[in-house]
Amino acid sequence: MVVGDVTTGTELLIIGAGPGGYVAAIRAGQLGIDTTLVEKDAYGGTCLNHGCIPSKALISATDVAHDAREAEEMGIHADPAVDLAGMVDWKDDVVDQLTGGVEQLCKANDVNLVEGRAEFADENTVRVAHGGEGQGSESIEFEHAVVATGSRPVEVPNFEFDGEHVISSRDALALDSVPDSLVVVGAGYIGMELATVFAKLGTDVTVVEMLEGILPPYEDDVSKVVRDRAEEIGIDFFFGEAASDWEESGDGITVRTENEDGEVSEFGAEKALVAVGRAPVTDTLNLDAVGLETDEDGFLATDDRARTDVESVFAVGDVAGEPMLAHKGMKEGEVAAEVVAGEPSALDYQSVPAAVFTDPEVGTVGMTEDEAEEAGFSPVVGQMPMQASGRALTLGDTGGFTRVVADDDAGFILGAQVVAPEASELIAEFGLAIEMGATLEDVAATIHTHPTLGETVMEAVENAQGKAIHTLNR
Amino acid sequence: MVREFELPDVGEGVAEGEIVGWLVEVGDAVEEDQPVAEVETDKAVVEVPSPVDGTVQAIHADAGELVPVGTVIITFAEDGDETATEDEEPSETRTDTATETRSEVGAVESKDDGASDDGSGSASSGRVFAAPSARRLARELDVDIGAVDGSGPGGRVSDTDVRAAAESDDDGDGASTADEPAPKPAVERVEGGDESDPGPAMATGSASRERTLAAPATRRLAEESGIDIDSVPTDEERDGEAFVTPAAVEAFAESQRAAQDADRAALAGSGGEERIPYRGMRRTIGEQMARSKATAPHVTHHDEVDVTELVETRSELKAEAEERGIGLSYMPFVMKACVAALRAFPSMNAMLDEEAEEIVEKHYYNIGVATATDAGLMVPVVRNADERNLLELASEMNELVGKARERSISREEMQGGTFTVTNVGAIGGEYATPIINVPEVAILALGAIKEKPRVVDGEVVPRHVLTLSLSIDHRVIDGAIAAQFTNRVMKYLENPQLLLLE
Repeated sequence: MVVGDVTTGTELLIIGAGPGGYVAAIRAGQLGIDTTLVEKDAYGGTCLNHGCIPSKALISATDVAHDAREAEEMGIHADPAVDLAGMVDWKDDVVDQLTGGVEQLCKANDVNLVEGRAEFADENTVRVAHGGEGQGSESIEFEHAVVATGSRPVEVPNFEFDGEHVISSRDALALDSVPDSLVVVGAGYIGMELATVFAKLGTDVTVVEMLEGILPPYEDDVSKVVRDRAEEIGIDFFFGEAASDWEESGDGITVRTENEDGEVSEFGAEKALVAVGRAPVTDTLNLDAVGLETDEDGFLATDDRARTDVESVFAVGDVAGEPMLAHKGMKEGEVAAEVVAGEPSALDYQSVPAAVFTDPEVGTVGMTEDEAEEAGFSPVVGQMPMQASGRALTLGDTGGFTRVVADDDAGFILGAQVVAPEASELIAEFGLAIEMGATLEDVAATIHTHPTLGETVMEAVENAQGKAIHTLNR
Repeated sequence: MVREFELPDVGEGVAEGEIVGWLVEVGDAVEEDQPVAEVETDKAVVEVPSPVDGTVQAIHADAGELVPVGTVIITFAEDGDETATEDEEPSETRTDTATETRSEVGAVESKDDGASDDGSGSASSGRVFAAPSARRLARELDVDIGAVDGSGPGGRVSDTDVRAAAESDDDGDGASTADEPAPKPAVERVEGGDESDPGPAMATGSASRERTLAAPATRRLAEESGIDIDSVPTDEERDGEAFVTPAAVEAFAESQRAAQDADRAALAGSGGEERIPYRGMRRTIGEQMARSKATAPHVTHHDEVDVTELVETRSELKAEAEERGIGLSYMPFVMKACVAALRAFPSMNAMLDEEAEEIVEKHYYNIGVATATDAGLMVPVVRNADERNLLELASEMNELVGKARERSISREEMQGGTFTVTNVGAIGGEYATPIINVPEVAILALGAIKEKPRVVDGEVVPRHVLTLSLSIDHRVIDGAIAAQFTNRVMKYLENPQLLLLE
């Protein structure tokens, strides 16, 4: 007990108001649980404030300008002037609207909102330090707690974020002018999304990546479509290069990289954007006090009820392990709240979809062909190239394909990889198919609207059955 | 080519047949039209002929088994094929015209080699194909979805499959016998009606007809409103039958709502109400109770017994037991008396296997002791009670009851009972109608031991009297057996020294 502390009690205490935390809070409120949500910064977490939402807003806005510029084939001749500060203002409005919505939803569901930084004091108490001088702190006793503190960008040694020369994805989304040139360290999904945005805004973008390709978790033919398009819009790639250090030079910086053989290369640019991944935020929580330990990467192990090793403590979202995706965190938050309420809830999803908002977009769910084989299935694959899609042609965007992986014996759909315009939307149908245990026949027999990109789902499925109409069957 | 042969409709429209016997064995060569099995329907015994020349590859039904028409009963390898044995991988070369007609009827054992006959990938991958709603239902019903036979395409598991698995799973979860009567439903379930909560008792002004004429849309409206169409008052008639219009349904639904609101308002006016979630242990207990009442026709037999000698015996032994660190209640005496009576009346220590249409009499005596805990009713089971002496029964029971109250008892320790005793009198009361812990067939409730006037040798004297309430499953036990069993238990409780002979 700290002098000056006020102690209150709550049935369910949630630390962090990102997608995992706020969903847990709202669901718990709906279930009549006395819930307290502690947030140190802004409602909505990284996703709403510095991640998914602002990046998608900028990607959309950038695409408007870029597509207009590239539409001569359609008979449109335009050279839109882009005011990045104005674009960022619009993006901020979108973010404000959403974060305000989250706060209102929490209040409407009787969630007590507390602002401050929480850490565990013992197994049923947290201390919340309020920001600012003289704001003091308070202790909150809980019956159950949910850790939903999210993640932060990983820093590369010698590349501490300074917000000016070396910037994080968060800084990049808040720039008020378009940099002339940019070195992007890391060709994962965050690096590739932002590299694409700035390249389309006219920045001279160079991507350096330690590995041998972009979008490492994805299959080669998927990432190749994105890489080819990226090179078309002017992005330069250097693979097998590990960023070692940088120095100021003139108005900008020089980034040095090393390859396997120790050969050093130098890349000059106005700024370096480092996007090599994210790490869970669990070091601020004083987990010892509640009897919890993280693994070596800082993640908290959880079971299929989102419960940690300590019965009364749950962990959801990025702190609970890969994949670090907002929608996975949301589902975990829902389940944690329902378990606290005594519902027979569990994390028993069959797959977690993932989307990359590059050009074209990538959407994947479930197993690849190789993974299906490893799992003991005899996979059959069906594919529909966008070049054969009437709708893709009318969009003037025919790169990529829709692919389905199914079990040849029973026809169950096991996975899909889509690299196409709106792949992030198209993947949802495959997610539902996998979750419902749908077979190729089920999807093939479902009438899909013409002319849409959604037809490529049906066509890929029919291709797997050897009876596609608009493509040649294998 | 493999040919799976389904039981044909051997009579005119019969649904099932009993395999009287097989005329061939696995490995036998058969010719087309050669009889392979004798099947008895409710009409006749007929011979089932082979449809092909070939070899018997597998027989899927035992003699004596009752098989629905359409079930695969035998598999032949047709001549001219390499005979594939059951364990071989399916042929690698697949053509568009499937040479195997795989049946999806009947559960097929999955094999270790990953070639599962039902075509589902689950044998090879461990993956279960089922919708999230079916998975949730499995969790609610405590069913391992991985062990459910799916009836959908490729073995996909549906809600219906999960429910069927739950019903065929005889593992009670220990929450079962009530030491208080189950709440009576406010209205009777409408046959074929919606399974949802029928709501409070019907308001006044409801009808009660056997038959009602109404348009399909009106019936649907009634169903959606949770209303039994036969209860809707109407003055209209068609063809001499009561006719109900949508307006009448709506008016009746409104009056029902108003009545419910009035009930709520009345409650609220008298100090309000609290809504407590019906979840966890409470719901588990409730579901088990409902299952028991819906399954077993209960009859309760009541009697009272003079236990004055038992009271004396127990007080003498209690001190001795305490010296050995064991608390001795009346329950071990009752358990011993019950075991002795169960031995004499084996049908009381039984279960009904409906699927096999057999009554299973058990030659072991696992006695459940219904225990009130903060979380609700739990029934720890004392195993092999017949092999233990009084003190061993007491200490085993004390340990289990303690665990139940601390919620540290395992599921296994609450399973496998063959008969249950519940001590209502520990809290108070005399008689009850205890609910049977299905699949057991009987439960004995004890009232409180009270001093009452009794006539002994023509004199009214104070005696210690215990009341007994024995509920039986009337499908298996008749009232006469219940009375005889109770008399036997009473004999031992009246003369506890007889227990020395047991």
